[in-house]
Amino acid sequence: MAKAFRASAGIMLAPAVTLIGVFVLLPMLLTVWLSFQDWSTQTPFSEASFVGFGNFNEIFGPTSVGRDFKTALLNTAIYTALSVALILPLSVVFGLLVYQREVAGGTALRTVLFSTYMVPMIAVALVWSKLYSPSEGPLNQLLGLIGIGPQPWLSSPRSALVSIVLLNVWQQVGYFTVLAIAGLTQIPGSLYEAATLDGANGREQFRFITLPLLRRTLLFSAVIAIINAVQVFEPVALITQGGPVGSTNVLTYHIRRVGIERAQGGLGSAMAVTLMLSLIVCVSALFAFVNRKDSE
Amino acid sequence: MSLAWISKLTLAAGLVALPATGWAQSVNISYLTHWSPETVALLEAAAKDFSRQNPDVAVTVRAVPFGDLLTTLRSQGGSSDGPTIGGIYDLWLPELARDKLVAPAPDAVASEVKSAWPAGVVSAASVGGTLYGIPNEIDVYALNYNKELFKAAGIAAPPKTWVEFKDAAAKLTDKDKGQQGFGMINSWAAGVVHPFASLLVSNGGNLVKDGKPALDSPQAGETFALYEDLIKSGASIPAMATADANTTGPFLDNFVSGKTGMIIMANWWESALKTGMGDKFANIATAPIPVGPSGDKPHSISYSWMTVVNAKAGDAEQKAAWEFLAWLNSPKSGKNGASAMSDILMSMGILPSRTSDIEAHKDKLGSDFLSGYVSVLADARPFPVVLGGQEFSESLQQTLEALQYGQVSAKDAQANAQADATSILERAAK
Repeated sequence: MAKAFRASAGIMLAPAVTLIGVFVLLPMLLTVWLSFQDWSTQTPFSEASFVGFGNFNEIFGPTSVGRDFKTALLNTAIYTALSVALILPLSVVFGLLVYQREVAGGTALRTVLFSTYMVPMIAVALVWSKLYSPSEGPLNQLLGLIGIGPQPWLSSPRSALVSIVLLNVWQQVGYFTVLAIAGLTQIPGSLYEAATLDGANGREQFRFITLPLLRRTLLFSAVIAIINAVQVFEPVALITQGGPVGSTNVLTYHIRRVGIERAQGGLGSAMAVTLMLSLIVCVSALFAFVNRKDSE
Repeated sequence: MSLAWISKLTLAAGLVALPATGWAQSVNISYLTHWSPETVALLEAAAKDFSRQNPDVAVTVRAVPFGDLLTTLRSQGGSSDGPTIGGIYDLWLPELARDKLVAPAPDAVASEVKSAWPAGVVSAASVGGTLYGIPNEIDVYALNYNKELFKAAGIAAPPKTWVEFKDAAAKLTDKDKGQQGFGMINSWAAGVVHPFASLLVSNGGNLVKDGKPALDSPQAGETFALYEDLIKSGASIPAMATADANTTGPFLDNFVSGKTGMIIMANWWESALKTGMGDKFANIATAPIPVGPSGDKPHSISYSWMTVVNAKAGDAEQKAAWEFLAWLNSPKSGKNGASAMSDILMSMGILPSRTSDIEAHKDKLGSDFLSGYVSVLADARPFPVVLGGQEFSESLQQTLEALQYGQVSAKDAQANAQADATSILERAAK
């Protein structure tokens, strides 16, 4: 009986497992294999030659290859950390504001918040590059009205990456607000009623009921926000081209430049593998942290 | 006859004609470019002319932003379904030829090109003596300046030496008006490196000499120091220098709106200036690159573009592509003895490189703006076309941008640039 059950489970799982194997695992394994090869993307795999950890030594080495890679890795880490640090609290705040059944226009507000997520990045990039224009941009004109001088935004290595983060937050916060609202709907209203009867104020209810019960939703949001942030590409390719001084050169954009433009497939693969490993470590650490909190 | 019958007959006629049309245009070729929609429309019109004379060939044109052109060529050019023809920058040719992405020109095309184009331009379209593309445009750098701002600052003539250049830049700078004397460019490799290289060659130096980087020369040191002086004195403001993926952005906006007194740029941006400035374009003049303390006379950096054919395309497609390109670049396809390609280029203010095209467009090339570029062409030095050239250019861009933003001193920038260039060119040559 158990044998028949296992066989039927295997048959039913086979199509999905095969598809995942061919389209996900195989390319990943191929990338890992290529990261140990000297290979031009314009030549067949058969022309790749084994170089051991040579590519990894190069990308972490002192030459311009290593310097550019390390800068791109750091930029990606800063971009990801800032994006997550801004998106998650904002999504909870907006979620709490919108999740008021009694407030008129709540649905309209949710729609407006979510709509930014549906705007194609090409349109967002075009509009934001003009909003950020140092001389004629509306943002600087608005700042001028309240007595703040013009900001360089995308034109300074100090502010360019943060400007791209703000653009990302603007676009993504609506999506994460919807996730937060979904989490809020799962919290039983009776808990708040009981807390009110016990004399807990709003802040205490948020700290001891909302936040703990929203933890799973926030974990999911954090993982998705991290993955989205690590994969940032379009705003950099469309607006800054990684500049100025490489300050917005993130890893996906840099890997494209190295792997495709320069056809250095081995180096590009080593960079992609490093990015993948960093992502696995970050997400695993996040899960471990939340699981430890749960057991406490 | 009722409307229903007319519709049925029309549909039947259409169905009969459809296969005939299909057979007539049996070869489909595509042309990848980075040109603007207006220029693409001109190319499409020329392609239609060609198809009228060659009904068995259909040409489609596809445009991508400049920043995506090389990536598109590399990612799609390796397949027979990729673009049949691509417009490329000469710096990319050695690596595209090494990776067998571009086809050598047939003998007939090669001999036509060798006889009708200047030798220097033919050499930039060749690797190891084999011609790979039909050259079309040639671009050269010169000093552009705003005559109105010069007049307001009391400067009578464009600077001829670096001393006069620095003096003019200082006089043109007005912080209260948000005005800078000299506009640098950043976030775009050629925009950063070519103006620097033009100043370097006008100071007697070279980027690469005998295949090896020459950024450790005293002449290069003086050029890095010039940049540092301009930044430190406030005559050049890096925040006004940013470019975007379409090679437009604040650096262009600031020059167009009269907030930049001088800039070193190539002739092709004439159309962008005209669009942005309207009647005020008349305020813009062109002058040779100022000569540095170690230089003998003004020199500029020049580079060329060419059209190449996908080596992985089918034989019929390659043959049709070379026929189309030979026609497009021949005196038969354009107006008054010019080629259709040169007519397209001249619509953007770009200098054609075919000798007969230069003659055919003599009048327009004599305009106030373009004549300044034509006059410096003879002493221009081609940008070094070497394996690893694009990576070298991007690396030098990073170093120069770091210098622009005060992250490194001129001395360190020079040392970094030479070390990076040495390692990049050595690796590429392996």
